[in-house]
Amino acid sequence: MPKMPSVKAELQALQAALAAEHAAVYGYGVAGAMLTGADSAAARGDWESHMTARDTLQAMISKLGAAPVAASAAYQLPLTVHDARSARRLAAVLEDGVTRAYLGLVAVTDRTLRTFGALAMQEPTKRAASWRGSTVAFPGMPAAALSLGRQGARAPE
Amino acid sequence: MLAASTTTLPLVLGLSACAGPNPLAGPPPLSADVRALLAAVTAEQQLIYLYKRTMAVYSALTPALGTLLAEHQAHLAQLRARIIEPPGKTVPAAAPSRQPIAGAPTAALARLRTAEQAAVTAQLRRLAGASPSLAQLYASIAASEATHVTVLDGRLHG
Repeated sequence: MPKMPSVKAELQALQAALAAEHAAVYGYGVAGAMLTGADSAAARGDWESHMTARDTLQAMISKLGAAPVAASAAYQLPLTVHDARSARRLAAVLEDGVTRAYLGLVAVTDRTLRTFGALAMQEPTKRAASWRGSTVAFPGMPAAALSLGRQGARAPE
Repeated sequence: MLAASTTTLPLVLGLSACAGPNPLAGPPPLSADVRALLAAVTAEQQLIYLYKRTMAVYSALTPALGTLLAEHQAHLAQLRARIIEPPGKTVPAAAPSRQPIAGAPTAALARLRTAEQAAVTAQLRRLAGASPSLAQLYASIAASEATHVTVLDGRLHG
């Protein structure tokens, strides 16, 4: 029997989040090699958090009767890591990617998954802010999804 | 008043000889998602007011709080942009209640922290009844506000 559209959308969103977690696990391995001291400890902790999140998603997908997407042997990282500064930048980018993926889960119909996605994106958002040294107004949202719509630009209140 | 989404068009009411809305009956009640959106707008306005007043009273906190205030102003702009207002009716421009500022900088920061955490919780409660794109906006704002909690924690305990 074919899966109902909403279950298919949920699976797609879960698999996308899992893929992002796989990439983050891989990427932290690269970033961590360039970090020392407190940064190295933080990277290790974040790497372990991603592995835990990965395991959670794998279990959720298996429970839905699907095969969890596998990690790739290697990933093309968005930037070259050659020192601590670029390693911190990579860590922030990895967290942004995970945040975006969980935001995708928020768009599904199932309320439990929607809440799960919204909660799951908070820790990567905080980690990204920590690595970047600054916060952002709309974590995970692509620029195209942000508009001032029919009312146009307003002066800030 | 309607909530905008990428899949809906503004509803235009017109007189018709067929059965339809009674133009003499007054505006229809607001739907739950519009009420939630208006509540989100009000909550952001109150946060903005709290930040501005705190920065006015404790100017030394301005460097730490300025970015967070700017992000709340961006949140408010996006939330307001999701509301389609009938001609002649506008969403209130400012916070309806004027809360007093705490008597010491640490207490003021703690107050902001509590307000941010409450805002995160409130955004998450709005997810269930929202359209997918609006739910994503609420979730993104909640995540942003969660980072504000962390920043304020750092100021309080750093």
